[in-house]
Amino acid sequence: MWNSRTDYLYVAPAIFVMLIVIGYPIYYTIELSFFNTPASLSLADKTFNGLDNYVTILTSPIFWKVTWQTVVWTTLSTFFAFVLGLGAALALNREFAGRGFLRGLLLIPWVVSAVAASYVWKWLYHSDFGVIGALMVQFGLTDHPINFIDNTTTSLYALIVVNVWKEFSFAMIMLMAGLQTVPDSLLRAAQVDGASAWQRFWHVTFPHLAGVSTVTVLLLAVQNFNSFIIPWVMTSGGPAGSSDIWITHIYQIAFGRQRWGVGAAYAVILFIVMMVLGYFYVRALTKGDESRAGA
Amino acid sequence: MAQVVLKDVVKNYGGVYAVNHVSLTVEDGEFVALVGPSGCGKTTTLNLVAGLIPMSGGTITIGDRDVTDLDPKDRDIAMVFQNYALYPQKSVYRNLAFPLQMRKMDKAEIDRRVQAAAKTLDITHLLERKPRELSGGQQQRVALGRALVREPRAFLMDEPLSNLDAKLRVQMRSEIKRFHQDLGATIIYVTHDQLEAVTMSDKMAVMNGGFLQQYDSPANVFANPVNMFVASFVGSPAMSLVPLTAVSKGTDVVLASPEGWEMPLSDANGRKALSAKSNKVVLGGRHSTIQVHKAQVPGSVPGKVYTVEPTGDVTFAQVFVSGAVVNVSVAPSFQLRPDEPVFLEFDQNRMHLFDAETEMALTL
Repeated sequence: MWNSRTDYLYVAPAIFVMLIVIGYPIYYTIELSFFNTPASLSLADKTFNGLDNYVTILTSPIFWKVTWQTVVWTTLSTFFAFVLGLGAALALNREFAGRGFLRGLLLIPWVVSAVAASYVWKWLYHSDFGVIGALMVQFGLTDHPINFIDNTTTSLYALIVVNVWKEFSFAMIMLMAGLQTVPDSLLRAAQVDGASAWQRFWHVTFPHLAGVSTVTVLLLAVQNFNSFIIPWVMTSGGPAGSSDIWITHIYQIAFGRQRWGVGAAYAVILFIVMMVLGYFYVRALTKGDESRAGA
Repeated sequence: MAQVVLKDVVKNYGGVYAVNHVSLTVEDGEFVALVGPSGCGKTTTLNLVAGLIPMSGGTITIGDRDVTDLDPKDRDIAMVFQNYALYPQKSVYRNLAFPLQMRKMDKAEIDRRVQAAAKTLDITHLLERKPRELSGGQQQRVALGRALVREPRAFLMDEPLSNLDAKLRVQMRSEIKRFHQDLGATIIYVTHDQLEAVTMSDKMAVMNGGFLQQYDSPANVFANPVNMFVASFVGSPAMSLVPLTAVSKGTDVVLASPEGWEMPLSDANGRKALSAKSNKVVLGGRHSTIQVHKAQVPGSVPGKVYTVEPTGDVTFAQVFVSGAVVNVSVAPSFQLRPDEPVFLEFDQNRMHLFDAETEMALTL
């Protein structure tokens, strides 16, 4: 057992640092979530109020509205980013002239700064000067430019479009790497066995991508759940909270209205949800290891 | 089962010819091995027969049908791959059933054929397993089964034994041979291992650099290699080749070495040697046709032992003769030491002579 003791010694510095920068904030957030806090930074004046903050949150209609919007945001963003990424990866998996160039081009959304991209898209969507509105008028789709982001029914979906544009490159890269590991001989075997192109995809390629797809979807889901930059820069959750998702809402409560206790309680709820997603992510990641180790 | 005919088949990538005007006929029920070193075009040839890559020229017929422009699925062939290429997420049963499902066969018929193939290959007890739960040999049997259920006109096998360990390879070798004999199947079998080709095939097609070098029964290829490449590729250890000069001495012909020794040739061999384009002739001999002596005997040539490799039954040795390495074999009781001078006597009736310029065998 001497060995395992030295093992702990080796990881001790890392654990120590993580306890300070990760462990303590988590503890402090959980502690704060049970307190009523003054709307200032004098947190020493906080008073214990038990589960009041949680009750406030869970009984508030806004919480359920924001939760629903978060679910819509996460699900649609993840789904479309994955589907678009898969399509792009499949297209780029074939040999054709200009493939390298196109691959680079499709990677741009992923490498562009999210803040810069958000501002660009804000302009594209702009009701007076936006390119999108102008093009729609040009093609006769509408009489006057639609106001996408200053509109309570469309703002969330307008943001989802931006988010999908920003994220599909990530899914594309992951799936392209996955596609490269599909054994050529399996595809050939299927071809000799009489499978059409679609059947080869369905029976060989797609099952082979199952592992990387699971990981990609979970990573996208976690990332979308935690999204902040795009919704905050483009709408700050507005208009009238129509594009608010959990992170932007928590930010507003804590740092906008300085309701630290309620914000902390919100964060704890989000933390629990994230841990559940994280559990599935780690399980998906290590599933292959176990079957290999068991073999 | 059917005859497979390749006629003037060409595959080139730009100026590089992977397969260079290859013509050969595989008779109905024949086991033909395509053999050659890496990059010789054997796998490309097989893929052309399968229709997996487009041909640059020539025609291929299977049975009485010209399949040159047909898709793989319409050629009625089945293929077995080096790494088995089993569908990992499907059970053995579903792997076997897959090619039949793709042909929209009805369930009862699929089940009948899968069970029959499983019984033939003795894998009935594995039908519910996934490929990863099987050993290499079992996976290869499933791969054979997936080819078998189709009842194809020809089987194409691409190095099916290379992923197995040495012991299993020998065992599967006889199983595939048995498979061929029981089914009377037409099989085209690609291998880089000349021993597999020699032991399993009815005919072997030796390829090198995209060209078909020789197409004949293993016995004939072994006994009468058409050129120096085939001579040195087939047989283990390889045939030894010693470059020498043919010199006429009155009515006799001798092979002379730069070191000054001479080896008299029989009448027939003398005439062969003189038919070379120049007087440069390469002497070829297999280990089993060379006698090793400790002292000079008439007709023997001097050499020096390089390495000695006892294998139990027989001791192999490499001997330097005029700068070339000659493989010889002696009885284990015959003691040889490295650097020991010895004299080699080549069997005049079983030696080979090649034209050093054209590298072709010299014949009468």
